[in-house]
Amino acid sequence: MNAVAARVRAVPTLLRIGFSEAVAYRAELLVWILSSTMPLIMLALWTAVARDAPVGRFGQRDFTAYFLATFIVRQVTGAWVSWEMNWEVRQGTIAARLLRPMPPMVAYAAETLAAIPMRLVIALPVAGIALAITGGRVLPHDPRMWASFAVSLAGAWGIAFLASFGVGCLAFYFESSIKVMDLYLVLFFVLSGYLFPMELLPATFREIADWLPFRYQIGLPVEILTSAVAPREAAVLIARQWGFVAVLFGIAVGLWRGGLRRFAAYGG
Amino acid sequence: MLRYARLLGVQIRTSALTLLQYRLDFLTEGLLEVLWSATALVPLFVVFRARPEVAGWTFPEALLVVAWFTLLQGILEGAINPSLTSVVDHIRKGTLDFVLLKPADAQFLVSTARFQPWRATNVLTAGALFAYAFHRLGAPPRLGGIALAAGLLVVSTVLLYSMWILTVSAAFFVVRVDNLTFLFGSVFDAARWPSSVFRGIVAFVFTFVVPLSLMTTYPALALLGRLRPSTLVVALAVGAAFAALSRAVWVRALGRYTSAGG
Amino acid sequence: MIAVRDLRKHYRVHKRPPGLLAAAKSVLRRRYDTVRAVDGVSFEIRAGERVGFLGPNGAGKTTTLKVLAGLLHPTAGEVRVDGHEPRRREASYLRKIMLVTGQKQQLLWDLPPAETFELNRAIYDVPRDGFDATIRELDALLDLGDLVHRPTRQLSLGERMKCELAAALVHRPRVLFLDEPTIGLDVTMQAAIRDFIRRYNERTGATVLLTSHDMDDVAALCPRVVVIDVGRLSYDGPLDELVVRLRPEKRVTLHFDRDVSPSELEPFGTVVSSEPLAAVLQVPLASLNPVVAGALARLPVRDLTVENAPLEEVMSELFARSRAARAAEGEAAATGPEAGS
Repeated sequence: MNAVAARVRAVPTLLRIGFSEAVAYRAELLVWILSSTMPLIMLALWTAVARDAPVGRFGQRDFTAYFLATFIVRQVTGAWVSWEMNWEVRQGTIAARLLRPMPPMVAYAAETLAAIPMRLVIALPVAGIALAITGGRVLPHDPRMWASFAVSLAGAWGIAFLASFGVGCLAFYFESSIKVMDLYLVLFFVLSGYLFPMELLPATFREIADWLPFRYQIGLPVEILTSAVAPREAAVLIARQWGFVAVLFGIAVGLWRGGLRRFAAYGG
Repeated sequence: MLRYARLLGVQIRTSALTLLQYRLDFLTEGLLEVLWSATALVPLFVVFRARPEVAGWTFPEALLVVAWFTLLQGILEGAINPSLTSVVDHIRKGTLDFVLLKPADAQFLVSTARFQPWRATNVLTAGALFAYAFHRLGAPPRLGGIALAAGLLVVSTVLLYSMWILTVSAAFFVVRVDNLTFLFGSVFDAARWPSSVFRGIVAFVFTFVVPLSLMTTYPALALLGRLRPSTLVVALAVGAAFAALSRAVWVRALGRYTSAGG
Repeated sequence: MIAVRDLRKHYRVHKRPPGLLAAAKSVLRRRYDTVRAVDGVSFEIRAGERVGFLGPNGAGKTTTLKVLAGLLHPTAGEVRVDGHEPRRREASYLRKIMLVTGQKQQLLWDLPPAETFELNRAIYDVPRDGFDATIRELDALLDLGDLVHRPTRQLSLGERMKCELAAALVHRPRVLFLDEPTIGLDVTMQAAIRDFIRRYNERTGATVLLTSHDMDDVAALCPRVVVIDVGRLSYDGPLDELVVRLRPEKRVTLHFDRDVSPSELEPFGTVVSSEPLAAVLQVPLASLNPVVAGALARLPVRDLTVENAPLEEVMSELFARSRAARAAEGEAAATGPEAGS
């Protein structure tokens, strides 16, 4: 119990140092933020498509709200742990991390969370713009829905982080798991609601997507934020989302332990 | 000049020998590329399922833009990107010094350091898309259009290369650069859409700052016979300007590297 | 051949104080410190000399070497190598020099060293027959044999270093910059590398600049030594003189037939170490002869050796002295104005 308490005490320091690091590597952070501009490009695209008539139930205003929400959610939930882990395995610095008494998964999680304030600096003005354009009609009025949003945001972060961490663990097995991450991203772009609202997909694809974690990484929080789901439906979807979080957590832990054994066996 | 041509030959040979060491990668990269292209078409299908025409472009016409995009992406990831990562490697390992010690232009050496020929699958994919698009359009492109498009392809390659040099020059200032290739790819990704889709400030950026429209939309227009030949002159001027700018930035970045201590 | 006058190299490094508030502040405004890596160094080297640069870590040796190679621009001062200004990095200059670093390599990792040789041949524009002759010569001097045809990643550290040296000499440079070339190598390999460098210098008359903090490297290779500490020159001249100047005492190692106690040794000199059948004495140079004569006469000496103090000790002494001198300088500067007022 003492060991756990010690680790818990270390977390605020980890968060603080993570924030300092995020600040120190200003340029890198800017690069990451700029790299997530795809929703804005999609915004331009889809508002062009909807110029003459709405697409499904989406008029130009609806698309604007949707993609700005997507941008914000992406900024808050983005995780780049897989690249970082691949980097550290290549550099050999992963060994230093393993020597510390803090479980690396917690350390990485802390670092990812610590970067959120800096990302909010970008996200909040965009939120402001979104609010001004759409007039706040789109946002949920029910405080329970806001609570649902918060929960779904946390769940989205969980899925993004655990997937990224899991892929990062593959670096122990395959030297470089960057290509796996690329594959994940390909599927993510198409099946999460990142490039277009899930509603616009044909029914069969939508059903397939419902059984994959991507849709809960972006689609769910965005839909709650733009009042696209009824409260009861939202509750069901959130339950599924956290189901995915639990499954991914199990897989991630398994991959980590296995990877560690492999790492130790072959000598880092 | 002749010396640099010979040097290019040697670099290509060295690159090929290195790749032969890792034969499995050839297969997996090729497969991944086909998968990526297929899934990248999904947004296009979704958009045109909703509308027969977007911003003045029909489905087969937009497919032409995607085909050019695929072709350029092959050039980007087969010839340009691998060398970008080699510069990043050099900076990380501190071996850029050895490149600087050689009596040959550093930009040339790093640009020709690595090639990845399996991206040739992009050429095949692009070819298939071109064929399908023109099948849907019902009429093949005219010779003049093809010539114009070929000229624009050369300009597009020069533009892509210059943009890459600019990105790599940023690598001298940025400590951790794994994500630069991601940034480049993300921005370049907007080039798969016809440029008339973008309005306002975005259109401005994509025409004058990062000339994506020049790279994919114009060649598509050329094939459709909708581009005036005089555009090629403008394109060449833009290409030359970008090349000059990127060279200047590279020299500056290298200068900073050598005075800041590497 | 090489002339350096008042070379200075300063860096600006930004300060990152700990703490959340300081971190947030540094987003907007950064504070910088100036690091004086090289702070006024001057020396001249003639063609064909072998010179060693000595100094503790962070002294500025590698920085000086990089400036000479044209990899770094000096902040101030004049540098000329064979009539060229290194910072201009003229192709004709780059063809005359080479750099080998113990910690980094230019050999292509996935391919055999032979491919790197070919690549360098193309880059340096070496004619084919000259190239073949050079490779044969290097093969003989370095005993490369089959190594050059195995992928670099399969070679051991020592084998890689030999091939690295060969790759860097393909174009027969006239100036060799070597930055800790024997670091991490085993004793035999170290000796082989040193031997090669000396023979190469004797055969081709190439000028050799070597940095190291391994004293044996310098002792074996460099008749002349330049000592750099905290960015400044501490000493420039023959190694022997340096040793004698710092430690004008000799070490006398004695082996005995029977046990000798320390008290018996004291009249002869300072006892550095003492075991039942052996002892090491430190004896001032002036009294060396009488002490040796006396020891041979009055002690049961079986074997006796006279040598200089170990180089490591001498160097530590030098660095300690220069640090003390700088500290005194600093104090004087600090208390000066006060004392005046």
